[in-house]
Amino acid sequence: MAAEMGRMPFFYSPEGRLVQVDYALQAVSRGSTTIGLKTKDFALLSSQVKPTRPLLEAAEKVYVLDDHVGATGSGYIGDVTTLIDELRVEAQKHRLVYDNPIDVGTLSRHLSEYLHQLTMYAVRPLGASIILAGADELGIQLVQVDPSGTAFRGSGFAIGQGADDALDTIHKGFRPDLGLEEAMALTSKAIEDLNGGKSVIEHGVVRAETRRFEHIVPKTNG
Amino acid sequence: MTTTVGIRSKDGVVLAADKRASKGFFVGSKVVQKLFSLDDTTAVAIAGQMSDAEYLVNLAKAERKLLALRRGHPLSVRESAKLISNIVYNGMKSYSPFYVELVVAGVDKEGAHVFTSDMSGAVTSEDFMSSGSGSPIAYGVLEQGYRKEIALEDASKLAEAAVRAAMERDPGSGNGVDVLVVPNGRWHGEAN
Repeated sequence: MAAEMGRMPFFYSPEGRLVQVDYALQAVSRGSTTIGLKTKDFALLSSQVKPTRPLLEAAEKVYVLDDHVGATGSGYIGDVTTLIDELRVEAQKHRLVYDNPIDVGTLSRHLSEYLHQLTMYAVRPLGASIILAGADELGIQLVQVDPSGTAFRGSGFAIGQGADDALDTIHKGFRPDLGLEEAMALTSKAIEDLNGGKSVIEHGVVRAETRRFEHIVPKTNG
Repeated sequence: MTTTVGIRSKDGVVLAADKRASKGFFVGSKVVQKLFSLDDTTAVAIAGQMSDAEYLVNLAKAERKLLALRRGHPLSVRESAKLISNIVYNGMKSYSPFYVELVVAGVDKEGAHVFTSDMSGAVTSEDFMSSGSGSPIAYGVLEQGYRKEIALEDASKLAEAAVRAAMERDPGSGNGVDVLVVPNGRWHGEAN
């Protein structure tokens, strides 16, 4: 029986774990540090653009999904971009069917179901976690979705390398009345504290006032 | 039924259309919108089966937005016209045609453009174009009034005059004119 288990990694391990999903989470924790922060006025996504070799253009890390919602991710970048495209298509499908922008709950549920399907069969679960930030009828929303399909709602998330320490930093610095500049300084500090110096960080923000997700182009040296 | 007009000028494009929806010999509606903005830079005037045309407009909006997000810059007017005509062409080839004739107009890096896509999926582009049952009459006015150097404001007046002339003699057109202007300055060349 135990030998059979070894050949079928998509089954539970004797300890009741899905080892492939555990490995996928492990892959995410090797990705670049990525943070989501929410107040009632805005949600901010910040992602470290990893130091690359010279002559290379920095890869996009914060993605616009639709006018009112954006996302960032950590893990295998190919897996992240696959999920981003899935979300973009779903947002446009929703507009076609309902003539209305998709709400963040419906969008994150779609992502959860998509990822969950990949935990059920003999395929590789995607090694990527996604943080969604958007504005809808319920206000500003921030959701993290993991490779298992688990979705978390909250005011602050960190994924990727050193996520626990980064989360600790933003937990200490978080106030519900944080301004956008302060929030950007906080997420930047959380990322920079990890690698002890200035990092290239890309930000995206959605404001309750405008209900638009805006992509902020990365600046060298923060 | 319907009369729609699209005119290209050096500083933008203008679309005009009547407001009548016909059900055979009956005026089904007097307040129909036949001009649609796909976004800031591109607009469509619809003629033919309303449901087919509106479906195409919504599909084009979604596809345009998706492609712009994926590649990082928006579609040119020609790309938008081709996008729509490919869908229409597939419809014709699979024996479930879209009963539409669309005027796709807008501005991009190269300036202002007007295209027509018919139900066979053929795309043509000229300085001014018209579609619908009133188009022969509208073309008469356009041929007389159009000049290469026409200003956007004059193009707007000419488009309205062409539709009004068609409304006088075409029973499929009437009940007022809508005009939509897209000036060159709308193009910014970035998705977000």
